[in-house]
Amino acid sequence: MGETTKRNCAVIGVGQTKYQSTRETSIAGLVREAALAALADADMTFADIDAVVIGKAPDFFEGVMMPELYLAEALGAVGKPMLRVHTAGSVGGSTALVATSLIQSGVHERVLTLGFEKQSESNATWALSLPQPFSVSVNAGAGGYFSPIIRQYMESSGAPDLIGCMVAFKDRQHALKNPHAHVHQHDLTFEAVVDAPMLWDPIRYSETCPSSDGACAMVLGSEAVGDAASKPVAWVHGTSMRSEANNFGGRDEVSPQASRDCADDVFAQAGITDRRAEIDAVEMYVPFSWYEPMWLESLGFAPKGEGWKMVEEGATTHGQGDLPVNCSGGVLSSNPIGASGMIRFAEAALQVRGMAGEHQVEGARKAFGHAYGGGAQFFAMWIVGADKPS
Amino acid sequence: MADELLSAPMTIEYPFTRTTGPVIGAFLTGLREGVVLGIKRADGSVVCPPTEYDPETGDALTEMVELTDTGHVMSWTWSGEVREHQPFDRPYALALIQIDGADTAMLHGVDVDGPEAMSTGMRVKARWRSEREGHIRDIACFEPEVTP
Repeated sequence: MGETTKRNCAVIGVGQTKYQSTRETSIAGLVREAALAALADADMTFADIDAVVIGKAPDFFEGVMMPELYLAEALGAVGKPMLRVHTAGSVGGSTALVATSLIQSGVHERVLTLGFEKQSESNATWALSLPQPFSVSVNAGAGGYFSPIIRQYMESSGAPDLIGCMVAFKDRQHALKNPHAHVHQHDLTFEAVVDAPMLWDPIRYSETCPSSDGACAMVLGSEAVGDAASKPVAWVHGTSMRSEANNFGGRDEVSPQASRDCADDVFAQAGITDRRAEIDAVEMYVPFSWYEPMWLESLGFAPKGEGWKMVEEGATTHGQGDLPVNCSGGVLSSNPIGASGMIRFAEAALQVRGMAGEHQVEGARKAFGHAYGGGAQFFAMWIVGADKPS
Repeated sequence: MADELLSAPMTIEYPFTRTTGPVIGAFLTGLREGVVLGIKRADGSVVCPPTEYDPETGDALTEMVELTDTGHVMSWTWSGEVREHQPFDRPYALALIQIDGADTAMLHGVDVDGPEAMSTGMRVKARWRSEREGHIRDIACFEPEVTP
């Protein structure tokens, strides 16, 4: 695939809005805030940027068709190439990777990439349940779609019933150390997580992601730009995307082939053989708690059927385990959908830059960013490191 | 083999809200009060309807300016066939209208009897609705300005 011809790419700047429900800021104002924060982090202005790559979830989440077309001014893209990427929930990750490819290919030196969502404009759960002609509509939202898959995992792995609650409690604890996180439940107890109403059996309300507004942006640069940066940068060690059909006979919905192939590809690019040992921090897309053990297995951090044991042992807890997962609080604590994938990628970058603040994993050198979308059928992953790829 | 094509109705009904932000929101609030607002750029020119960010430089714009409800037609086209969801139950002109004091144009309808009553550069004035709600249609239409 001509890997040797790829040029190095670095994350120079990261910018995030506070994730929340906001009725004061327009979509343009929202993306602007994240973009300016990323530029400030990179010690740049819009004038330094060659191209803008933007992503968001489906347009009917806000009811603005192709919103990127009116965001060019807000993102300083007038007179420059501006592209939109669209891969459902994984779009934040895919968007970052398309932007990365513009650097790796040598086309551009500095690219601004951004993902956003403004869920307060509507109700995405039900937007995901629009009836389609000639199809059965269960009108169950995303949780209804994923709950049978989660049950399949619970039954096949023999995981104890409360593993999902442990993930939810852990991520909400992590979120308390991230000022950008939407959900800050200072007095939350594990018992309260367990006692929460069952929403989509076996998914409790406490095990689901919130509806957030927010935007996340990154400034990516070439090797020369990375070398000249005044702050630490994150070097891209591997990037991969995979897709597969939503429905076909024999599909492994718990651990889709596309997920496993994508992981194999990205770890091979980064020269990583012992995934759990060599990765210091993971930001993975976990919109429903049980997806943490499921993805731990699918991504090869745990043997099949044993991801839940890592959760139970606290291996994925910040400050406790050897593979901290979602130190930012994850999607369970902030979910501006179109940005959620990019937040995972950006938080991975912050970890290896040593700039994650209170939720920093001490000494993190390599971090893994992950996003998935659709009916767990689109995957985007990257590995970033504090050191330049050898 | 049947030559009938499968077809099925698909009607999407879905509620949205819109956060208009500090600039578009102010413009719409102005309309409710019967006032047309523009916004000043760094070079002193005025954008109306106002935009949050400069259309060329991308700079944030903040200086709202109150304009009149009169202007002139920069360009126009005749909409001769009455269709659903149009502003009138009769043919009308769809026009780019440059409000006095503004350097850009807004799209709106001009209510005249026929295309022979329209001309580029003609003076127009807003006809306001009596019940206004903060919407571009608070201006019912423009009409030829009557000079006393």
